[in-house]
Parts: sequence; structure tokens; C-alpha cells
Amino acid sequence: MTWTDEELVARSIGGDADSFGELIRRWERPIFALAYRTIGREEDARDVCQETFLRAFRALPGFRGQAKFSSWLYRIALNLCRDWIRRERRAPTVQAPEDVDLMDLAAAAAPYESVEDLVVRKDQTRAVERAMALLPDEQRTAIVLKEYHDLTFQEIADLVGCPLSTVKTRLYQGLTVLRRELAKSGASERPRLRSVAGRTS
Amino acid sequence: MTHTHCDYSGSRDEVLVAYLYDDIEPAVRAVFDAHLTMCSTCRDELSALEGVRGRLGRWLPPERQSAVGSQQSAVDGRQSAVGSLKAPVIGRRSWWREVPAWAQVAAAFLFLGVAAGIANIDARYDSSGLSVKTGWSKRTDAAGAAVPARGVEIVAPWRSDLAALEERLRAELPRANAQATTIESAAARPNRPAAPLDAEALGRVRALIGESERRQQSELALRAAEIIREVNTQRQADLVKIDRSLGLIQNNSGVEAMRQRELINYLVRTSQRQQ
Repeated sequence: MTWTDEELVARSIGGDADSFGELIRRWERPIFALAYRTIGREEDARDVCQETFLRAFRALPGFRGQAKFSSWLYRIALNLCRDWIRRERRAPTVQAPEDVDLMDLAAAAAPYESVEDLVVRKDQTRAVERAMALLPDEQRTAIVLKEYHDLTFQEIADLVGCPLSTVKTRLYQGLTVLRRELAKSGASERPRLRSVAGRTS
Repeated sequence: MTHTHCDYSGSRDEVLVAYLYDDIEPAVRAVFDAHLTMCSTCRDELSALEGVRGRLGRWLPPERQSAVGSQQSAVDGRQSAVGSLKAPVIGRRSWWREVPAWAQVAAAFLFLGVAAGIANIDARYDSSGLSVKTGWSKRTDAAGAAVPARGVEIVAPWRSDLAALEERLRAELPRANAQATTIESAAARPNRPAAPLDAEALGRVRALIGESERRQQSELALRAAEIIREVNTQRQADLVKIDRSLGLIQNNSGVEAMRQRELINYLVRTSQRQQ
């Protein structure tokens, strides 16, 4: 039987440690991804992820269920990311080696991917990382939450504590900067979604 | 007819983003749909931002081991209300950690003694200095001499010590076990007098063992998956190496074939000239 997050929270508060373990297993990956994309450093993102669950665990008895458990967890993670950025007092940097090691690349390749494809993919990833690192924190956070965590504008607004229109504006500005930076870095990607012409027709 | 400049009446950027992410009210969407058919600026921008989204979709966080490496310690920490996730994972306590330290030391000596016995260690200190030999290091003809063929008793003082130690261990271990059982029973039922393991406790122990086995199985599965991944990684690296080597060989073969062709041409030319 699959428990919902809220049921697992209730069971955890009741003393069932395995339920909290299940929550960790369920949300560890998204929280790590959020932290990684927000602060851009793998090891620190791992620390933030651990700290998020630790804080959540300690604060669990105080969780009243006004918000979704995931939103609550995201808020903790975002606050920790913000603290980290403030503490570091610098723009997030991305661990991107300058030289390309073919062996490392080969190890990371999907079975159907040639080395050339992989080099291209790595380059594109690096370009995205660099462009994201240029964004102001609030724009980057908005993009990460929308693009990778599929939160609604309202959920993002609730999470970061700003008006709905501000979230949209931040997204628009952030995407515009990314568009410019990615265009500088090389070939542009074909539209992933349905074509505008197709959609409007 | 299309507009070269957008004249959308409203918060155009916000609507564009809402449209892009398909997080928009149907009425606003319908209006913007109509606008898009006429405004190439918005169409182009929407298309470009979709391209940006496509690039963003390829940015994946690194795949590695669990970020919450010691999540179980956090969960276990609930009882102690402390539990740091950064604390090193305390592995499952091995059965031998439950044995008292003195018994571990004694067991170590016992093991050394038995090993020495098996190896038939012969330590001597005489005028030529200290010499240590094992039964295996002796020549085969000397092996017979180790047997007291003529009723000569081999002096081995460590054997009596070993026997005494073994006797002591045998006597001490049941006592230690009984003591541990009593402590566990008392801890489980503080209001009742200490008693040997009853059915409830046995059930609990069985449940613990079952849980432990389940965890071990999942760890085993995890490890197997890791090994498979490592093998795949190695395979990929090997494939790249093979690919490179093949390319090199092909190059060399090509060069060699060209030389051969040149040589044959030379021979043909030379033979024609001689004729």
C-alpha cells in the first residue's frame, strides 16, 4: 500500500520512524536537485539536502498540515539555500572542469549515445549551468521551481513570499537572460514543445 | 496581416510566461491565442523561450549516491531527539561487538594459540640466537621426528595455557550470556522482576532479525545495482579504448597498404623499363 505524504507525516509524528524514512526516500532526489540547481555546487547541495531533512525531522511535530508536505519541505530547502548563498557572498559557481576528459565522458554516456553526442550534451549542460549562475537568486529560484519542480505560479509565490505577478515577471526576465546567454554560447535548441503555429492553429 | 510591434493590451510578459508554461486561465489563453495569430513578435519570442526551455530540460543534477547518506541515523535519532544527519553512519552492530572486551582478547589469544598449534611453531632461543620455525618450513624427513616415536614427550607449555584459557572461556561465556539476558528482560519490563527470555521477547528478537535480514537484502540489491553500473561504466570506457585502437589500426593498415601499392607500382615500372 502506498501512503500519501500527509499520512506518512502523521505516522512519523506518531513515532513510526520508517515512515519518515519513506518520506526521505520519496523527496530526497527533488530536494537535492533543487539545492543543486539553486546553489550550483554538488557537495554543498548534498549538505543542504541533508540539513533540510534534519530540520524537517526536528520540526515535524510542529507541522500542522496547512500546506502540502512537499511545499513545507521546499520552503525549508529554499531558506537553507538562501542562507548558504548569503554566507558565501558570491554568485553560485558551477563545478565545471575546463578540459574534457573522454574517459569520464564515456563513463557518463548512455548506452545509445556516441562520444560525440555526449560531448555536445556536456557542453550544452555546461552552458546552461553558466547561464543560470548569471541570474539573480530570485529569478533562478523561480525558474528552478517552475521548470524542474513543476510548481504552479501560486505555489511559487507562496513559497518565496511574493505576489503572483512578481513570480511571472521574474520568470520572464530570467528566461530572457538565459535566451541571450545561451544564444551566445552556441547553437540554439529547437523548441521542445509543440510548435507555436501548431498550438495556435 | 501580422504586427511588427506587439500591441497586446495587458501584462504581456506575464501572459507570455503563463502561456509558455501552460499555467494560464482559459479566457486569457483564448485571447492570447488570438493575439498570437496576428503578432509575429510574440510568436517568435514564444518559440525562442520554448527553445530555452528545451535547453534547460537537459540540465540534470549529478547522479550519485544518496545525498542523505545517513538518513537512518536521523530516523533513529528521533528517540534521542538529537541525531545529526551529518554524523557518520554507524553500521549495524556486529555480533562480536556484543561480546565483552576481555572475551574478545581471550578469543584472539585462543585463535593465535590454535593457529600456532596448527602451524606447529617451534621457537628456540639458544647460542645461535632466536629461531622460529613452523611445521611447514621443516623438511619432509624431519616431519617424522615431530611424532614421539620413541615415547619422548614433546614439551609444549602453551598447550596447557591454551587449555586453561579455553576452560575459562567455556565457564565465563554462559555466565555472560545469562547476565545479558537478565539485563535485557529487566529493561523490557522494568516493573517486573528479571526473568529469562519469554515468548514476547523471543518474538521481538525474531522480528528484529527479520528486519535485519530485510535490510541486508535491500543493501545487497543496492550493491548489486552499483556493481552493474560500475561494470557498465567500465564497459563504456573499454569500448572507447577499443574504438580508438581500431581507428589506429585502420590508419596503420591504410598507410601500410599505400606503401605496398607504391612498391608494386615501382616494381611494375622498373620491370617495364628493363623490358
